[in-house]
Amino acid sequence: MPEEKVPVFKTWNQWYVFVLLMLGLMIAGCYFFTQYFS
Amino acid sequence: MSQIDWIVLGLTLLLIIGYGLYKSKTSRDLDGYFLGNRAMPWYLVLLSIMGTQASAITFLSTPGQAFEDGMRFVQYYFGVPLAMIVISVFFVPLYHRLKVITAYEYLEQRFDRKTRTFISLIFLVSRGLSTGISIYAPSIILSSILGWNIYWTNIFMGGLLIVYTVTGGAKAVAYTQQLQLLIIFLGMFGAAYMVVHLLPDGVAFVDALKVGGKLGRLNVITSGQSPEGFQWSDRYNIWNGLIGGGFLALSYFGADQSQVGRYLTARSLSESRLGLLLNGVVKVPMQFAILLIGVLVFVYYQVNPSPVFFNKAVSSKVISPAEKIALDTIEYGFAQKSVTQAALVRQYLANEADTSVVPAMRSNLQAMNADRKAYKELLKKAVPSADTNDTNYVFLRFVIDHLPHGLVGLLIAVIFLAAWGSIAAALNSLSGSTVCDLHQVYSKKKLTNDQEFRLSRWYTLAWGLFCIVVAQFANNMGSLVEAVNVLGSIFYGVLLGIFLLAFFFPHVKGNAAFYSSVITQVAIFVLFRASSIGFLWLNVIGALGLVLLALLLHVTFGRVRGEGK
Repeated sequence: MPEEKVPVFKTWNQWYVFVLLMLGLMIAGCYFFTQYFS
Repeated sequence: MSQIDWIVLGLTLLLIIGYGLYKSKTSRDLDGYFLGNRAMPWYLVLLSIMGTQASAITFLSTPGQAFEDGMRFVQYYFGVPLAMIVISVFFVPLYHRLKVITAYEYLEQRFDRKTRTFISLIFLVSRGLSTGISIYAPSIILSSILGWNIYWTNIFMGGLLIVYTVTGGAKAVAYTQQLQLLIIFLGMFGAAYMVVHLLPDGVAFVDALKVGGKLGRLNVITSGQSPEGFQWSDRYNIWNGLIGGGFLALSYFGADQSQVGRYLTARSLSESRLGLLLNGVVKVPMQFAILLIGVLVFVYYQVNPSPVFFNKAVSSKVISPAEKIALDTIEYGFAQKSVTQAALVRQYLANEADTSVVPAMRSNLQAMNADRKAYKELLKKAVPSADTNDTNYVFLRFVIDHLPHGLVGLLIAVIFLAAWGSIAAALNSLSGSTVCDLHQVYSKKKLTNDQEFRLSRWYTLAWGLFCIVVAQFANNMGSLVEAVNVLGSIFYGVLLGIFLLAFFFPHVKGNAAFYSSVITQVAIFVLFRASSIGFLWLNVIGALGLVLLALLLHVTFGRVRGEGK
């Protein structure tokens, strides 16, 4: 099957970095949430 | 439930069944029935993946989990984004290139027939059992609220969703999941709004978070460390969430046909990848929101009278007058502590800078939890057959006791729809694997496309009936969300391990793969029974253990062959 155009970003690797960044942000957000309210 | 609740519930369920039947038209062959002719856009794939994973258990048990144990359960989902990336890189391109209907078809091409058969059997057993629990979960709601017989409720529950699943296959499943998720999000948003709205004057949303935090319910990130070192038996912390949860998600999304069958419905490789990656981004916030509703319910019961035990149906089964008096005594003591707790929380909120009241709040909560424990123990003694784990009832009890008419009906419908979304996908995949991995492989009779299509419908019906039977035995399993995850962890290590072996160790052949998977599965059973290790680690041990054993067997078989020559 030929590879179709990558949506939004230029390559799939950029998509993977984006997902990793989002994970990092979520964990950091959860950490500060825990610290702030404990 | 009022008349308006019944109307809302009935209309919502009818809407879904009608919509499922309306979307049932598909080509009469295996590709049409199991993969919707591979024609779905990415957003349907995303919603289908989400709808398959989020079962009724998610919406029933998760708020209760936060109520009892706090929000740390969300860490279990941290591994999902990592798994989505690995699957997008290695699994999806391969499945698309080989044009497989089930993931296990690939195993025969890569190893041999016996390995494919064994792994598909592992899938069928584990998915069949957990789908049974997914039928039981919404059924306990009906039996609890309406006093209906649980066995008949299971049959009623399973029967309705089978209608459109048997008729329309994967296409009907995907389209109904889209509508189901829309209604689910609407219902959960309504519930969240109402919990905040019902908090007494002077207790705003942020105040509720502060109280939840001080009482240990906003423990989103935990390290698993204690003064004695790392706690391997700790169920949820960031490490077993990222590693164990990652392995579990990798097995579930990469090697479990109920998910593989969803993203193979995509019209292209890109649409499959996009659906998976976006699922990785939205899963954690979604679980966070559901857990937060549980924390808000917890705070509601800190500032309002709280039941000592949420599953009233069990308490009403106690007949002995002496035991009734003992239970009433505990309940009376608990009620007094509940009043004290409300006063302490008010005192804390009146002057947050003065934290001297926090230890009193915490110790009073501990005393309340001790009362709850004593009540459950006594209840278990009085009614030995009773399920005294009321995690699953906390949210439900709150909905029924405190939410307005109409919304109660909608939330009961939400639980039904969530269950149907995951059960429908599971039945479709169970039938798919049975037809493609067993029937087609071992039947000597060559069938036409139309015959295979009709056979697939019969297998879907048969699996539906099997899962209803399993549901009848699903009582006394504790927290249902954990029961499903524990069950997954027992089998998923091997399921994932065999795919890792296939992808990354091309020199390992069929015999080493087959024997290592059988031995590892037995070893995981033994480990689960004999040790108290946190269940998420079973995935890691199973997957890595299988790979190592297969490499060892590969070398051993190579030597034996060498000596034979």
